[in-house]
Amino acid sequence: MTGLIEFQHVWKKFRRGEFHNSLRDMVPALASKLLGRQRHDTVEPREFWAVQDVSFSVRPGQALGIIGPNGAGKSTILKLLTRILRPTKGRCGIRGRVGTLIEIAAGFHQDLTGAENIFLQGCIMGMTRKEITARFDDIIAFSELAEFINTPVKRYSSGMNARLGFAIAAHMSPDVLIVDEVLAVGDWRFQRKAFDRIGEMVRGGLPVVIVSHQLDRIASLCTHCLLLDRGRVVKRGHPDECISEYVANAIEVQDPSAAGLPFRVSAVEIEPKGPLRSGDWLTVRLRGEVLASAGPDTRLGVRVRSLQTAQVVFGLDLTAREPGLLEPGSFDATVELQLNTGRGYFSIETPIWNIRERRELGQGPQAVTSVDVAAFNGGTNLHARVRVEMRPAPEDRELWSA
Amino acid sequence: MAESCCPELASTCDGQPICYTRVAAAPLSSRSARRDADVTTIHTNSDSVSPVVTAPAWQESPAVEVDDTWLSSSDQDRSIRHNLRVIIYDELWHYRGLMYELTRRDIRVRYKQTVLGFAWAMLLPSLIVLAGGMVRYAMAYVGGRHLGVEDLAGIAIKAVPWSFFVGSMGFATASLVGQANLVTKIYFPREVLPLAATLAQAFDACLGVVSLLIAFALVGVDYGLAALWVPVLVVCAFFLTAGLALLVSCANLFFRDVKYVVQVLLMFGIFFTPVFFEPEMFGALGARVMMVNPLAPLLEGLRLSVVMDHNLLDPLVVQGRHGVVLAWSPWYLAYSATCAIVALLAGLLLFHRGESKFAEYV
Repeated sequence: MTGLIEFQHVWKKFRRGEFHNSLRDMVPALASKLLGRQRHDTVEPREFWAVQDVSFSVRPGQALGIIGPNGAGKSTILKLLTRILRPTKGRCGIRGRVGTLIEIAAGFHQDLTGAENIFLQGCIMGMTRKEITARFDDIIAFSELAEFINTPVKRYSSGMNARLGFAIAAHMSPDVLIVDEVLAVGDWRFQRKAFDRIGEMVRGGLPVVIVSHQLDRIASLCTHCLLLDRGRVVKRGHPDECISEYVANAIEVQDPSAAGLPFRVSAVEIEPKGPLRSGDWLTVRLRGEVLASAGPDTRLGVRVRSLQTAQVVFGLDLTAREPGLLEPGSFDATVELQLNTGRGYFSIETPIWNIRERRELGQGPQAVTSVDVAAFNGGTNLHARVRVEMRPAPEDRELWSA
Repeated sequence: MAESCCPELASTCDGQPICYTRVAAAPLSSRSARRDADVTTIHTNSDSVSPVVTAPAWQESPAVEVDDTWLSSSDQDRSIRHNLRVIIYDELWHYRGLMYELTRRDIRVRYKQTVLGFAWAMLLPSLIVLAGGMVRYAMAYVGGRHLGVEDLAGIAIKAVPWSFFVGSMGFATASLVGQANLVTKIYFPREVLPLAATLAQAFDACLGVVSLLIAFALVGVDYGLAALWVPVLVVCAFFLTAGLALLVSCANLFFRDVKYVVQVLLMFGIFFTPVFFEPEMFGALGARVMMVNPLAPLLEGLRLSVVMDHNLLDPLVVQGRHGVVLAWSPWYLAYSATCAIVALLAGLLLFHRGESKFAEYV
C-alpha cells in the first residue's frame, strides 16, 4: 500500500488545569453533556487551541519537517496523526502501516529480558510475530546488545534501553514514517548509526514526518518544512527558509531604547541567500543607528554561530574596526565573511555588549545561512572585510541627547 | 559530492500562490536525486513551462482520493454494526499478535522473581475451597448433617471461575491507568489491554482446572455426559468477565474511584454469589433472587453438570426443609448467556466510544 499522510484543516482543543475525575463528578458531567451539545468552534475560558487550522499532506518521496518552539503543537500534531488523539475539527490520518520513531522504549516491561521485550515492543508498534521472528537477529545485531539480550531490561542503562528500542523500530517496514526527537539515541557512535538508518528509511521513498529541535537534522533529511507557533502555521516552504525564519524569530529583538541598548540594528541582510559552499564569501549588510547611550565601553559586533552546536565559531567587533560607530548617527555596515566552515547552519547575529562590565547587553536581528558542502575551499580561518559608512545623526537628536 | 541548490522562494503562509523553484546541478548524490524528485514549479500564471512533478506538501486540495475512510475526524459515531466490524476485524483480529504478547507478558511478569511461582495460581482457589469448607462444615454441624465429598468438590469447581472473575476485574481495572505511558504514547487498539489482563487470568484458571482434574481423580468424582456443558459455561463466563473488564477499565480511566468501588464489590461479592453454598439453601424465593446475579447460574451450572451429572436442559427440583425448591432451570442458563453477550457487546462498544478520549483523560 502506498502510504499517505493527510492533515486537513485540523483544530485541536485542550483544557488547562486539572480535571475532576471521581465518580462524584460524573453526574454534573453527564448532565451538562445531555443538556447542551458540546461546541466545537468556541473555546471556554479554561480551554485553548493547541492546533489551529493546520493542513498539509505528505506524498511518497516527501519528507516534511515540523519545527517550532516548545508548545507550538508539534507533538500534538504527531499524536493526531497516529490516532492517539482525535481532532476537534477537521480530518487527518495516515494510510498504510505507520512506523513511529516516537517513544521507542515506551512498551518495555522492566522485568522482561531484552529478547522478550523485542517481541512485546515489536507487537505494540504493529509488527506481526512472524516479522519479528524473521528480523530478530538483525534487531539484536543492530542494537549491539547480543550479550545482554537475556538480561532483564531493568538492569539496562538508559542508553542500552534506547538502543534496543531504536533497533526494534528501525526494523519495521512501514509505509509511512513518523519521527519525533529520537535522533539523540545512545552514544555518539550509535547516534550516527541511528541517524544514517533514518536517512536510509527517508530516502527509501516513504512519506515522512519529522519533528525535531535539531535543525540541521531537519535540514538534511527533509524536503519540505512547516514552522509552527502556538498551534498555527507561521511558514511553510523549503527547510532552509523555515529554519532561517525560526531562528531569526527565536530571539526576541528588544526595543533598544527600552532595554537601554546603545545600538539599534534595524536590518541584517545576507547575500547570497541560498546555501553556500565552504570557503564562499558571504556579504552581511547591517543597517541601524548608534544611539546617544553609546559610549567608549559599548560594542557592536557580528558573530557567526553554528546551529548544530550552538557555539560561536566567529566573532567580530565592528566598533573596533570603525570607531565612528561610537558617535550617534545612522550607519550602513557591510561585512564580508569567508565561511571556511564545515557543512551546517549558521546564524549571523549582531550582539551588543559592554566591555567594561563584560556582559552582553542584547542582540539585534539575525540572519541564517547554510553551508551545504563541506568541500574545503581554501583559507585558514574565517576572514572578514568590513566597510562601515556613517551618516551623522540629525540635529534634533543631538539636541535631545544634550 | 557536489550540490548547489538555490531556492528562490516566495511563499505565503496560507499556501495560496507559491512560486517554488529549485535548480540542482549534477553530479547528484542520492540525497540530491531525492530532492530533485520534488522540484516543484507552480506559477500563478498558468503558462508555466516546467512541469509539476509532485505536489508540494502544503497544497491545500489534495490529490483526489476516492477512499478517504482512513481519515479520522471528530464525528466518528457510525452504526453499531460498522463499529462492531471495526472493533472485531480491524482492531482485535488485526492486533491478535499484540494481545498474545501482552497476555504472555502479564503471565511471565507474574511468575518472575516470585517465591511461589505457578503455585500462586492455585493459592486463591485453594483458599476459597478452604474457607468454603469451613463455612459448609459449620452449616452441616448446625443442621445435623454430614459434609460430603460432593459438597467440597462443588465448592472447588466454583472456586476456580470465581477467582478468575475476581482476578480479571482487579487487573483489568488497573490495566489502562497503570499503563498510561502506553496509552498516551503509542497507538494500538486499547481493548487489548483489559482483554490481555483477562486472558492472563484465564491462563491461571486453566492451571486451576488441571489441578482440579487431578484432585477429582484422586477423590474419585465421576464425570458423566453432562460434563459436556462445561465449554458452554466457560465461554459464557469468559464473555461476561471480558465485557465487565472492558467496562471497569474504561470507567476507571475517567473516574479514578471506580477502582475502590470494584475492590469493595469483589470483597463482598462472594456472599452474593453461590460459591460457598447452593442457592436452594435460601428457599424457593431466595434461590430465584440468588440467580439474578448472572454469574450464579454459570457457577451452579458447573457444579450441577460436573459433580451432580445433571443435564442442564432439564429443570432440577429439590425437596428442601420448607418445601419444594427449583434449584435449576434451563432459563437460568439462557439468562446468563444473554447477560454475557450483552455485557461483551456493551463493553466493546462503550470502550470503543471512549477510546478516542483516553489519551487526554488518563
